[in-house]
Order: sequence, then C-alpha cells, then structure tokens
Amino acid sequence: MRMTPARVFQLFFLMLFLILFVQTEYRGHDEINAAVNTFFRVDPLVLISCLLATKTWIWMLFPALLMVVATLLLGRFFCGWICPLGTILDLVTSRIAKSAPLKALKGNTKYWLLLPLLSSSLFNLNLSGLLDPIAILLRGLSFFFYPMLGLAARSGWVGLYHTIGERRDTVAPVYNLIRDNLLPFRDTIYPLALFSALLLLGIIALERFETRNWCRNLCPLGTLLGWLGRFSLFNRVPTGLCGDCGRCRELCPTGFDRDFLMKEECIICMECSKGCPHDRISFRLSLKHKGIGPLLPERRVLLGGMAGGLLLALPARFRPPEKGSRLLRPPGVRSEDDFVQKCVRCGECMKVCLKNALYPATYQAGFEGIYTPHVIPRLGYCEYNCTLCGQVCPTGAIPRLPVESKRREVIGKAVFDKNHCLPYARKIDCIVCEEHCPIPEKAIRSREVQITGLDGVVKTIKEPYLVEEICNGCGICENVCPLETKAGIEVFAVNSHVPISAQSSGEGTALSNPYQ
Amino acid sequence: MDRRTFIKTTGSAVLLAPVLLREALAAREQSLVAVAEGTDYAAITRRAITAVGGMKRFVKVGDVVVVKPNMGWDRSCELGANTHPLVVRAVVEECLAAGAKKVKVFDNTCNDARRCYVNSGIEGILNGMKGVECKHIEPERYKKVVLNGLFLKEWDLYDEALTADVYINVPVAKHHGLSKLTLGLKNVMGIMGGTRGFIHRNIDVALADVNAHVKKHLTIIDATRILTAHGPQGGNIADVKVLNKIIASTDTVAADAFATTLFGLKPSDIPVTVAAFKRGLGEMNLDKIKVMKA
Repeated sequence: MRMTPARVFQLFFLMLFLILFVQTEYRGHDEINAAVNTFFRVDPLVLISCLLATKTWIWMLFPALLMVVATLLLGRFFCGWICPLGTILDLVTSRIAKSAPLKALKGNTKYWLLLPLLSSSLFNLNLSGLLDPIAILLRGLSFFFYPMLGLAARSGWVGLYHTIGERRDTVAPVYNLIRDNLLPFRDTIYPLALFSALLLLGIIALERFETRNWCRNLCPLGTLLGWLGRFSLFNRVPTGLCGDCGRCRELCPTGFDRDFLMKEECIICMECSKGCPHDRISFRLSLKHKGIGPLLPERRVLLGGMAGGLLLALPARFRPPEKGSRLLRPPGVRSEDDFVQKCVRCGECMKVCLKNALYPATYQAGFEGIYTPHVIPRLGYCEYNCTLCGQVCPTGAIPRLPVESKRREVIGKAVFDKNHCLPYARKIDCIVCEEHCPIPEKAIRSREVQITGLDGVVKTIKEPYLVEEICNGCGICENVCPLETKAGIEVFAVNSHVPISAQSSGEGTALSNPYQ
Repeated sequence: MDRRTFIKTTGSAVLLAPVLLREALAAREQSLVAVAEGTDYAAITRRAITAVGGMKRFVKVGDVVVVKPNMGWDRSCELGANTHPLVVRAVVEECLAAGAKKVKVFDNTCNDARRCYVNSGIEGILNGMKGVECKHIEPERYKKVVLNGLFLKEWDLYDEALTADVYINVPVAKHHGLSKLTLGLKNVMGIMGGTRGFIHRNIDVALADVNAHVKKHLTIIDATRILTAHGPQGGNIADVKVLNKIIASTDTVAADAFATTLFGLKPSDIPVTVAAFKRGLGEMNLDKIKVMKA
C-alpha cells in the first residue's frame, strides 16, 4: 500500500473512528464530548432516509447535507478518503486472492438495494441502517469484536490471579491503563452478535471476487454518493483508457470495468494518476463531463425498486403483540412510530449504556424493529443520573435530555407479580426493590402488615407496593430482585409517557460534586 | 491433697474459669465511644480517632489497611447516602501517618461502580495520594467463606478485606427501609459478594453471622450529616440533617447503639443491633457504654 494523500486521510479517519468508538463509553464524565456518532451525522444515506421517513427536517443531520453538497462538487470522495469500512477493505484486499467478479452482483443489484430502502422510508419504514456501511461496521465491533476483546483481556487477567494470586498486583498498573482507556467496562453478550459479525466478515469475504466488491456493487451509501457524484465538477482527464497503455484498469479499485471510467464508481483515490507511467492523468475542475450512460437506472429498475419498498413497508410492520408488553424503549422515547423512523440501528446507545440495559431487538418489535435498542431490565437497568444514550444517538431518535428531564422520562411502569414476590408468595421480608428505587420519594414503598407465615406463626413483615404515578420504569427493581431467574417485579411498556412530576424526581436539589 | 479434693478444685476451677474470665475482660474493656463535633470534618475525625487511642494503636508500621466507607450509591455528598469524602480522607491520612504501607479503599456498590466512585467524591479526593488504592471491586477476589452462622452457612467475602492487617469500618449513618437504620454493622455488606439481596430475608441474623466473622479494628461512623428518611439512597436534600458529628469506637455494636440515638431511636429499636448484641459482638446498653466527648 503506497502512501498517497487519500491513504493518509483514510488511515486518519479509520483511527478517528476507532478512537471515537472507544471514547463512546462512560469514563468518569457525565458528558461525552466527541462520540462516534459524528460519522452518522455526515452520512447522506442516514439523512435522506430519515427525512423521507419522518417528513421533517432534523438539524442534527445538517453535516450530512454538507456532505451532499461536497459530493456534488467533488464526487464520491467519501468512499476513497473517509469511509472506515472502505479503508478496512483496502487494508486487507491485497492479502485475499481474487477469482473472477461475481456476475450476479453486476448490473442493477445496487439499485435494487438502494431504491427499496429509500422508498420504504417514504412509507415510514426506515431500514437504511441495516445496510449502511458505517452501521454494519459499528454493530460488528460493538456487538461482537469489542466484547470479545474485553472478554479475552479480562479472562486472561482473572486467570493470572488464579495462577499467581496477589503477586498479580505488580503488573496491575499496566493492565489498569489498558482497562481504563481501551477495554469495555463489563463483558456483555448481545443478541445478533454473531449475525452482526458475519455481515461484516461477509463484506470482507466478498473481496475474494474483486476489490471493493461491496462498495461498487452493493453499498447503498456508496450508490447514493456515486449518483450524486455524477454531477461533480471534479473530473479525471482523460475519461477513458489510453489506446497504448491501459494500466489504469489494474490500478483502479472500482471504476474501470469497461474501457472508460465509470464516474459514479470513481472514489477519487487517484491511484491512477499516481501510477500512470506516462504522467498523462490529472483530476481537473470542469463543467462538461457528466459521466457515461443515463442518469437514472432503467425505468423497470426505478419503478420496481420503488414498488419493492412499498411492498416491504406494509408486511414489515407486523409485530407480535405479546412481545410489545415488554418492549421498553430507551429513556426519552415517547412515540414508538417516531422512534423507529429515526433510529439508524447503529448500536451506539447499546455500546455506551452504563449498565448495559440496552440490547438490539431481534423479533420483539417485528421485522421493522430489528436491531433497534430496547431495555432488558433483568440484564441491566437505566441508571438514574445517566444521560449517555441520548448524547450519542446521531439522529435524536433517543432525545438528548438534561439529567433533570431524563430522570422524569417514563420507560415503563413496574408491576409486582405476587405469585413470585417473596413477601406475598412466601410471607417473608425482602423489599430489596424499595431499597434500590432511585426516586427520592420512592415509587416503591412498603407497609408493615401482620400476617400468618407459611409455618403458621403470626408475624409482622413489610409488603412492598408501587406508587405508579412516580415510577419512571428504570428497571432497577427488576434487576436487583433477589429471586432466581424470574423477578417478582417487572417493568411493562405503557402507551402514555407523561413524565413523572419534577418534585418526585427530587428536582431542585443540588447534585453537583462540591469536591472536584 | 487427696484425690477427691483435687477433683473438686480442678472441677470447679474449670467450671468457673470462663465466667471469671469474662467478668475480668468486661471490667477491663468497657466499650468506649468517642464523639467529636465540629464543622471541620477532617479535624473532628482526627479528634475522634485520638480519643479511642490514636491510629497508632491499630496500625503498625508496614501494615496493609482497609478503609471501608459506604459509597454504594450514585449520589453526591450532600445527599448523605455515602460517607463524606473529607472523613474518608482524614482516616486514610491517619493510617498513612501511623506508618501504613498501603491503604485500600473500596465498596461493592449498588449503582454503577464508576458513577458511585466519582459522584461520592471519594475517588476524587484520594486521587494522587501515595500508598492509597481506590479501585473497583474485582469479582475474582471473592472467596467462599464458611460462616456456620444461624442464617448464612457460607458466603462470598472480599479477600482484600479479610487478609488486611487492619480493617477500618467507615459507614455513614442513615435511614434504611428494611433495617430502619444502616450503620456500622450493616456497612459490612460492602464486602459481601453474590446476590446480597438474599440476606434481606433475615437481615438481622445474617448480618450478625457476617460480623461475627469479620474483625473490625475500628468503626468510625460519619454523622456529619444523616439521612433521616427514604434511605439508604435518599436523593432529597430535605431528608438530610446536618449534625457535624463523628463517632468512633472499637466496638461496632456500641458505636451503632450510640448513633441510633441521633435519630431519636433506642438501640433496642434496631433489630440488627439487637441480634449482634445477643451474639456477643458488642455492647448495646447505653448505660454500660462510656461515651466520651472528643
């Protein structure tokens, strides 16, 4: 791999992506200044699908509009200079022996992916995140590779303790440095982890057929950028192969399938200009060249793609109702429809979630909700003073709220299951849920009652009960319930997400740390 | 001495010895509770420690000391859910001054450990101190300990707390939904692993079981401000009462018994205290405790 300006930028953005990825975690500060969501906020596929789905302007995605303008001027440079997935492909492709390009992927395949995604967005089904390259990369990392790294490091560290015991402390500073700056805080196993990894690895495996196979034949973001790039003023001269040479075809990672440059596939890597033995190639500003072939794909594809989206949009909305009762969305989400239209399924909220309460939905929200985050309180609860998920969400599907507001947002409402809850079912004391309820006025309270125990002895115990109006559904009660397996208190979804009162959430009390 | 006399003498001696010994010990060690009051929390902490014999009485040069505050909740200092950072720092400084090789500060938190360590202010105030370690609980360090108690036969306890040369218990005095108050005896839950909620089924007996096993050389109760309701985590400043007091004792039960009075309650109102007293872990009768203003 020779160092060209494009390569330098590629490596820089890949590093940036990885640094921001690791930074997308609580590391002692309530606010995360720079998170990996930046990459989604400049992503035109996210912008256009969200605009189509919500039919409203989202200011958070303004940077993506700048990317649209830049692409209109400069061409599809994102893929060759910025895209971290593209960079990974460039880094590994030379080690993968190539057979012939896959015929099945040629032609209009990419439009058959992009057009249904866009048109289904218009019909309120926003699935673009499923195939967005940044989202695929992020999900593969968040759900599989990063937890694997954490698990491996921690297992090794624990194994060392079991081998050498306290003497491990001598190397602790080194491990602590890695743990505090690189490793995930706790090891989490996510649903769809393997699928997410396979999707990412599958894209890499496609390099077996040709370089940048995913990018030129499938990627919906790349297809969109390529289409926009056809209008660009930045053109390669000459536009085709020279009669006496033809080396461009070997140098070009994407666009020289034929004897002329496919402008929508040129990622402006400028390998051709660097590698030209005759120094004939340059990239120049000109108004003339608009690429070869019709601007739009043939009518059959255009209409078929649009119809495909419509056909997808309707059946995808089926949801199993019994799952809905436990479908708990992140704090601040008030409208399910609004949420699934905006969510790009990037997985950042699930990565950053302080107590690992958020997991990707598999079938809980139907096909349309695949990969969208939901709270599983038995595995993790929503920490009362934490606002991280809203901070990293690139589209505002999870709103960014000040902590005073977030505490009041209703995720669901807790319900006691008296057949399991110890004071009711077994007539003994417990109320661990009341102890942990973070609402200062306590949404879970208890009263002393005189009961006859199961052994026939009359005694006084504390029976817990819920004050529903001030329960925000954080789920800590369900999480800490000391029953094995199923909890005696569970959080259920609600239709009305009216926030609990400011007074009950202890607003007005200073929560700053005076000792810093 | 004939055989009969010998048997009589030794027999009665064997029977009487434990009683006499207990009496002798009781006479020698009347439980002393030192109470210091003032708005300089570091200073009153030091005064209370001095009153019970000074840190050098407990910490020898080269010792590894565990200082176990309550920092279980993601609440800031003034809300009274965690031990005051100034108190913790003063205790740690006293340990170092007495020659401690290493002072370890930790708690098995209820909320996210990172947030608790930060928001309690304790991690921040100890930051950069030489010989002080304030790190999160590492699950591999739990050891299954045979307690053979009345409720708990065995439980996971934190190895660092068990192997330390000196264990200093630094709870904050506050209300608790189930046990009415949480003080020195209940603070030991912070070294317990596993599903700690399990012991709520019989918390008084369970805590006596654990406390009987864990030697606490010194208990320092932070009553600079106490949480009077909605404990153990509170969250409303209206529930907090500022008392500017520090209580120190080598007898955890006695320290708890005295602290109970700050809430307007009697030691006999608190089943945890009563269970520990019955187990012989300390004195709860206020008229048998020597309370000293420090």
